[in-house]
This record gives sequence, C-alpha cells and structure tokens, in this order.
Amino acid sequence: MNATLLRHETVLALLVCLALASLAFLSERFFTPENLLNQGRLMSEVGLVALAMTFVIITGGIDLSVGSMLGLSAILLGVFWHNVGLPLPAAIVLALVCGTLAGLVNGAIITRFRVPPLIATLATLALYRGLAEGISQARSVRGYPEWFFFFGQGEMLGVPFQLWVLALATIVCAVILGLTPFGRAAYAIGANETAARFSGIRVDATKLWIYAGAGLLSAIAAVIFVSRVTTTRSDMGTGLELDVITGVVLGGTSIFGGRGTIIGTALGLILIQALKNGLALSGVKGDGTIVVIGIVLITAILVSAIIDRSRGG
Amino acid sequence: MSTAAATLRFHRSRTRRFLSDYGQELVVLGAIVLLFIAVGAYNPRFLSNTNINSIFAGNAYIAVAAIGMSMVIISGHIDVSVGSLIGVIATIAGTLAVSGYPIWVAWLVPILVAMAINTVVGALVAYTRIPSIVVTLGMLSILKGGLISATAGAWITDLPADFMIAQVRIFGIPSPVYFMVALTVVAALFMRYTDFGRAIYAVGGNLDAARAAGLNPEQTVVGVFTLHGLFAGIAGLLFATQLQVIQSTVPPNLELTVITASVIGGVSILGGTGTVVGSTLAAILFATIGSALIFLNVSAYWLRAVLGLLILATVLADMARRRRSV
Amino acid sequence: MRADSQSASAISLSHVSKSFTGLKVLKDVDFDVRAGEVHALLGENGAGKSTLIKIMAGLYQPDEGEIAAEGRVVKFATARDAHAAGIATVHQELLLFPELTVAENIFLGQAPKMACGVLDWTAMRRQSRELLDVLDSPELDIDAKIGNLSVANRQRVEIARALSQKARVVIMDEPTAALAESDVQRLLDIVLRLKARGVGIVYVSHRLPEIFGLADRVTVLRDGVRVGTHHIREVDESSLVSMMVGRVIDRLYPGKVGASGQTVLELRDLSYRSTVRNISLDLKAREILGIAGLVGSGRTELALTLFGITPATSGKILLDGKEVRIDSPETARELGIAYIPEDRGLQGLIRSQTIAENVALPNLDRLLRGIFIDIGRVLMLARETIAKFSIRARGPNQIIRELSGGNQQKVVLGKWLSTEPRILIMDEPTRGIDVGAKAEIHQLMRKLAADGMAILMISSELPEVLGMSDRVLVMNGGRIVAGFGEGEASAEAVGAAMTRARSSMDAA
Repeated sequence: MNATLLRHETVLALLVCLALASLAFLSERFFTPENLLNQGRLMSEVGLVALAMTFVIITGGIDLSVGSMLGLSAILLGVFWHNVGLPLPAAIVLALVCGTLAGLVNGAIITRFRVPPLIATLATLALYRGLAEGISQARSVRGYPEWFFFFGQGEMLGVPFQLWVLALATIVCAVILGLTPFGRAAYAIGANETAARFSGIRVDATKLWIYAGAGLLSAIAAVIFVSRVTTTRSDMGTGLELDVITGVVLGGTSIFGGRGTIIGTALGLILIQALKNGLALSGVKGDGTIVVIGIVLITAILVSAIIDRSRGG
Repeated sequence: MSTAAATLRFHRSRTRRFLSDYGQELVVLGAIVLLFIAVGAYNPRFLSNTNINSIFAGNAYIAVAAIGMSMVIISGHIDVSVGSLIGVIATIAGTLAVSGYPIWVAWLVPILVAMAINTVVGALVAYTRIPSIVVTLGMLSILKGGLISATAGAWITDLPADFMIAQVRIFGIPSPVYFMVALTVVAALFMRYTDFGRAIYAVGGNLDAARAAGLNPEQTVVGVFTLHGLFAGIAGLLFATQLQVIQSTVPPNLELTVITASVIGGVSILGGTGTVVGSTLAAILFATIGSALIFLNVSAYWLRAVLGLLILATVLADMARRRRSV
Repeated sequence: MRADSQSASAISLSHVSKSFTGLKVLKDVDFDVRAGEVHALLGENGAGKSTLIKIMAGLYQPDEGEIAAEGRVVKFATARDAHAAGIATVHQELLLFPELTVAENIFLGQAPKMACGVLDWTAMRRQSRELLDVLDSPELDIDAKIGNLSVANRQRVEIARALSQKARVVIMDEPTAALAESDVQRLLDIVLRLKARGVGIVYVSHRLPEIFGLADRVTVLRDGVRVGTHHIREVDESSLVSMMVGRVIDRLYPGKVGASGQTVLELRDLSYRSTVRNISLDLKAREILGIAGLVGSGRTELALTLFGITPATSGKILLDGKEVRIDSPETARELGIAYIPEDRGLQGLIRSQTIAENVALPNLDRLLRGIFIDIGRVLMLARETIAKFSIRARGPNQIIRELSGGNQQKVVLGKWLSTEPRILIMDEPTRGIDVGAKAEIHQLMRKLAADGMAILMISSELPEVLGMSDRVLVMNGGRIVAGFGEGEASAEAVGAAMTRARSSMDAA
C-alpha cells in the first residue's frame, strides 16, 4: 500500500515541478516572490478546508456542505458583531463555534441516522446556504475595524498571515493523519468500516470529530476570507466544495476511502493554484484555466489508475 | 379459507405491495396535493392560471433533466456536471439560432452535442473504473469554463420567434408541460418494458450478478449516459427558450437540484431502485414549494433553507422506513 | 475411467490447464458430468475447484485442453455461450438483485417478450410460478423483493433461474454452507428432483455426509491436479480426506488436557431485544465451551452482545465475579474479551491493508511512543505474530488479500491474541478452511486452553462441536435449550435439541 501511494505522490510532485517550470518559462512574473506569496494567500481558504476534506474522504465519506458552512459562518460573524453588538473577538470565536456545530450536525446525521454522507451533506448544503441567505436577507456587513484585516491581508516576516496558518494546520493534520492512532483509525474506517468497528475502533466518535473538524476549518477559512475581502455576503464559498474535492482527489486520495495523504492534498492544491495563476499571467482567461483544471483532474486520475493496474493493484 | 376471504387477502396484499413499492412517489404526490389545497385556501391567487403555468412550465426543464439523472443514479452512478451542461447546450442552441441556421439545426445539434459529451463520460466511467463522481467533477470544470469562455458573460438576445419551442402553446398549455409529461411516460415505459431498461436496474443493483446473467454492464453504462445526454439536451433547449434571452449562467447548484429531485422522488443513491415518475413529481414539488413560499409572504430568501429541511426530512424518513423493513 | 453408457456426457473437459500470472492453477484435468448424475467435486481451498467450475461456466477460458458438450467440441467465450449450451451455476455468493422481484431475478436477461418486443410481465410471473412449483416452493411469493428473502429462499430462486435456462448441467458451489438444517434437507430433495429430470449436477462441497448421501461419482482435486475419480461406493470418508490432503489426518479434534480452572465469565439472564433471551451460563478458564445451534438461533447475536457491538438491554455480565457493563468493542477488549468473527473477510480483517496494519489495529493505544505510533514496535509485533502462528507470508508488509483463507484466519487469531485476552469467543472458527489448516487451528485452540484461556466456540458443524467442546450448550430461538456436561453430549441429543420445534420452547 505504501509503495503505491508513493507512486501517485511522486507522479504528482513531478507534475508540480513540470508545471512550475513551464509556467515560469511562459511568464516572467510567475516565479517572483511576491507573486508566489500572493498565490499562497489566495489558496489558503481552499487549502484549510481541503485539509479537513482529506480526512473526510479517507474515511469513505464526503462533505458537500463545506462551502455553505463557510458562507454561514461568514454571515454569522457579521451578524454577531454588527447586529447583536458583540465585541469582534467574541463574534469571531462564536462564529467558529457555530461552524464547528454545523459540522457536528453533519456528523450526527451520518452516524446517528445512518444517512449516506453524499445525501446528508447535499441536504445540509442547501440548508446551511439557505440559513445564510435567510439570516442575512442578502444584506452585506461592512465597516470592520482595521486590525481585523490583518488576518486576510497582513504579513508576518514578509509572508502572508494566512499562509502561516495554513502551514501550521498542514503540519498538524499531516502528523495526526500519518503518525497517530486517530489517523490509523480514519484509514481503517475508510478501508473497511465493519472490520474497524470489530477491532475496537470507535468509529462513530472518529467520524464526528472529522466532520466537526470540517466545520471548524470552514469557519476559520470564512474568517480569513471576510478579512481579505472586507465584507460578508451570503453567497461566499459557493462552489468551494468542488474546488476542495478536486484538490484532494488530484492529490491521490481515493474517493472510496482508505487511501490518501496530506502531502498529496498539498501538492494537488499547489498544482491547481499554480495552473490558475500561471495561465492567467500568460494571458489565458479565467474560464480557460477552469477547463484546464478539469482536464488535468481526469488525466491525473487516469494515469494513476493505469499505474495502479499495471502493478497488479 | 373461503374464497372470498382469500381473494380479499390477495387484494389487500397487492395493495400493500403497491404502497410499499411506490411509497416515496405517493408521499411526494400527496405533498403536492396538500400544498395546493392548503396554500390555495389561504391565497386563492395561488391557483391562478399564470401561477400554475409558472410552476409547471417554468420548471419542466428540471424534471426532464431529472429523468436522465434518475436513470444514471439507478445504474449506480452520478453526474454532477449536468447543470453546466444545460448552460452550454442553451448557449450553443441560441448561438446557432441567431447565426441564421435552420431552426431544426438549432434544435437538433445541441441535443447531439449533449449526447456526445455524455457518451464520452459514460465510456470513461465504464471502461476505466474511475468513479463517476470524479469524472463528472472534472467534466463540470471543463464545461463551466467552456461556458464562461464561449459567452464571455454576454447574454444572447434577439432570438428568432420560431426557435422558441418553450413558448409554443397547445390547447393553452405551454409545450414544456407536454414535454415533461410525455417524456416521463415514455421513459417510465422504457424502464419497465425493455431489456435495456431492466439492464439499468440490474447493473445498478448488482454489477457482478448482471455480468454473470449475461448482460454487458459496460455497454449499459455508456448507453445510460448517452440517454442522460438526450434528456439533458432537451432540458437545455427548454431552458434556452423560456425567456426572451439566454443568460450566460444557469441557476446556481442546478445539478444538485436535479440530483435532489431524483433522490426525493425515490431513487436510491445506492442504485438499483427508483422510478422516473418519482423524480418528475419531486421536481414539481420543489417548484410548488418555491411558489407557495412567495404566496405565503415568506421571504424568498428562506426558500433554500426550507428545501434543505425538506430534503433532510425526506431522507431521515426514508432511512427510518428502511430500518423498519429490514 | 470408462464411461458406463455409450452416450456422450452432458459436458466434459479434457486435458484442461489454466494459469494466472504465471501460477499454474489447473494441470491437465479431465472432468465430465453425465445427464441425471450428481458428480461431487472435492478439494481443499486453492485446489482449483473454483477455477474448474468457472471454466465450465464460461467465465474463464482454458489455456490448454478442450470442452465438449454432448460430444460436440465447444468454446465458451462468455457466460452467455455457456448458458446457451445449457450450463447454469448456483453460486456460493448468490448473484441476485436485492431490489428486484423473484420473478424478475429468475428471468433477467432472458425475459419473455410480447409480439412487439416489450417485456411480457404476465408471462414472466406465470412461468416463475410454474418453475417454483417444480421446486416444491409454493409459499415463495414471486412478487417479493429478493432482499427480503431468507438465504434458503434466495438459493431456490437461483435454482429456478437455472431451470428457466433449460439447464442440462447445474453447478452448485457450496450450496449448504449458509443453510439451516431443515433447509439443507429441502435442498437435497431439490437436487434429487433435478436429477430425476435428467439434469447433470456438479456438486462442490466440503460436507462429506452430504456427498455420501447425494453423489454418484466423486472427483478429488489437489493442487490443480485430478487425484482421482471414483464411484461413491468405492470410497469412504478417510480415503477421500487422504486424497484431498495427501496425508492421513488423525488428530483433527485434539482432546482435552488437564482440568478446567476458575469461572471467569458468568452471564445471568442476559438479553438483547428479542434475539438474545435470558441467557445464563458460566465459562471457566482452560475449557472450550461449545455453543451449537442452527443458523438464526441467536448464537452470533449472543457473541455480539458479549463483545459490545449490540450491548445488552437487560441482565448481568460478571467477570471474575464482578459485574461489568460492556457497551462497546473497546470496552470488551479492555476487559480481556476477544471475538474472532464469523465473516472473516468483512468483519475480521481489512483485506486491502497489510498484516502489520491489521495486527496493530486493536493494539494502537499500546504501541505508542508519546502520542505517536511506534512503527518499530508495530512491525515487531507483526513479525512475532507471523512466527508464532506459522503464517505463510512474505513479511509483515504483505497485503492480506494475497494470503490464503487459512492464513488469513491465522492473522485474525494472531491479531486478537496479541491483545492478551482471557476470554476468546470464536464464531465458526474453521468455516471455509481446508482440512489441513482446520487441524492446525484446532491444535492451537487446545494449546490456548491448556495455557489458561477460556474459549467460547460457536460452530454449526456438529462433528466439530462434539469433537472440540468440553461442555456443550445448545441455543434455539435466542435461548439456551439444552446443556451437556463433560462427556455427556452425543450427536443425537445435541441434534435433537437444535431442531426442537419452536412452539414447544416458547411455552417454556
């Protein structure tokens, strides 16, 4: 199993290097520190959620509601601060709590009521987005204090703040997934949930933590997003789930569960962001990059499947 | 046992069987009727011609798309790209129409394109074993980007009058309604009375058993996706000709609305069971709820939340029903 | 073997060989079935039986050799070709469609049509009814969904399907493995009916008593080679076993050594909903307590309650005299209880992972360095397990799926024994395992008991229950209906208790 995985990540790493090299060649502005750091800033929100989604998909589940959870958390942030009048730090914390709760609800529906994750999160995707729209009544909140913009627009030691957050989160998640019993439990659940249960793994508890984690990371991403664009709107995060899932699957995580790594997800995301940016810099319109990403996804999965097959997998 | 009692028992068990086999569809139908009665009583304008029109005709394209989607889900797969596909089809159709091509070209070519695209998707899914959610995720990106590229955000206007198939009325009823009903009936008969229709259920129910029974699962899957393309193409045409302009975007989360219609209509996401009649009814139910909210003076912004709660309630009830029958 | 009659066999294979990825699975095998005969096919797991019947069914093509149907040489490129030639299979893992009706399952892919080409459901339902009547199953509802039927009824549907294909040869792969005793009898009746209709039957089974009751001829395969084909009158059980295994097995059921120890587990009126009812028993160290019963008698349900998968709804569990509450497998494991499950592939192992990963799974919290997993100790544990149980594998990083059935069961055992339990619940410990590995596992069980383990053994094989158990309890309808002390159990008494009519017990 380890050998096959390494194969996919190796292919991916090569692709990433190839992409970075060719893009650097195509445009001088690509390989500059400021551009790279800016790209890092832009991909942080997707990145944070993708970390959680890796865990989710490894357990054999899926979470289509992450975009809606982001939007709901963003709206709640604005509501708690602006309408309820809480001090901003408290509003932020409360918004994070609510996001986590939303994820927990997902987990509860899936574990307690045995609803397949695809359908459960399809329903909550609509529900949470609907709540965001209903609560906000399509009004946006502005006028945040200056210090708040540090999260999304500030820098520490020349590197954007959210990139530090993403880096830290990536390391923590990689360690948990790869080196702790919790991570082994996640892999076991995805590979064979029944056998995991019969081996003493606390399947339901593990899943609850993972889905709650997705909610929390979506909420963190929401705070960063709001801080970056200085406003809250109810349509924030629409389509996020597809970007995130594409990144995770591209990174080698099997949609059936039981396989995947944080490194793979990170590489997958870097590849996508690099493509988006590089193509834009060399004059390709935004929509063209989306097409390219779709093609890259299918091709990468195909290649990976062929390699798997030839090894007698 | 006397013959009378035996006959009664037979009929009662037939009725019980009918209720349990088609329970979901009946619930949806019941909900629609209930809503009409309740909201109509509260606000009689709900039952006006214009409103009924907008409910049935305006959302018929979703029901038509859901027919194909139901078939795909019954066969054990899924397609998350259908929303963008409809947008692309509408744009192609509109572009052909305003560029002076004969009307039948503007109608036929987009449908063929939809079928071609989905045949490729079906082939990838059937022969490479890549899960359909991944393939259609990729296709979604391609189509979405393609759509934005092609339209560059512009709307297509000045559509020729005879192109507007959705505006045609027969006996005062808009054509989309006829399409919806006719296609649903044809599809339902197809699923029940043809070898291929039953093969779809078989492949979705147990792939290995299907192969051992002598069926060719790969051909079935490709065929299902092609059919799905046909329905998506027709849906795209209806969508294109509903208004006087063709927008450069489709309603957000359109694919999820279509998938949800199938699921609420009784198609199990696990494959192997469900009917196209159910998904059509569910699409009508969504439209009814949307309209009902407006007439009940509930802020339109709560519509999505209500739909979400409805889906949740339906799914939980379905799970509970499954647990009891096991 | 010369054929007795001059007519050609319904199907015959000559000099058939088959290899998979370089490994020769069948070597120059001859096999034939005549109309109206039951030809049993015997062999250990891995002997090549499954490959042979798949070649007959058209799912594989032989690398060498030829197939003849009624004298004519044929080639089966697909399963369809085999169907057309009259070969039908009743599979071990029934290949049916749970959401479709009985009638449709029987006729899928070959449905009767009306003139215009559409499916004729009326004819389908009528013909299904007729077929089921041939099989003497009038109570089977043709409009019922397969998913709602019992295993025995589903099997009858598969047989009806074989009949519908006007099969001349029916291949039955381990048909009685999952059936209750009463259903086994009905199945054997059905086989005799088919025989009377002139259908040739290939009967693959591990159950020697059935083979002696049904078969006309028997062929034994070993390591891909045909060891011999004989008339059933010419052989007996031990000669068949020697042919299968290549050596004489004398100690299939090793006897008890030493006396039992203290009572470690006591159940008082333990219940779980309606499937486990008022179970009271005690289990001592160093003994093997056998639990006999038919499929559906509640034995596995009892085990799952003890193991915490379906925690008890009433009653008491006492460990060493102290009351405990077992609400999860984790708790059970911490209390020193281990469960070797009935379904090895689904419940016992993660087949896509390695030996090391599987063995580590119940032990994760003890293989830590700080909060991290200690890979070194994980690998060491795996190596120890492989050595201790003589598991034939390339190393701790080999994937479970590549191991044989017997070795996989050893990994399950090793995995749970590494948690150092005091109570071992074994559910059908040797099901689907060849005779050689069976003996090994029985030896192991005796050794564990001798070293102090308390073992609860659930088994549907009466010989195993009688041979291995020190004491025997019989379960029926969720209750314990009979108990036998050391030396008291006999085949008749236990068998009678297992099959006692339900109504007489509910009154009790």
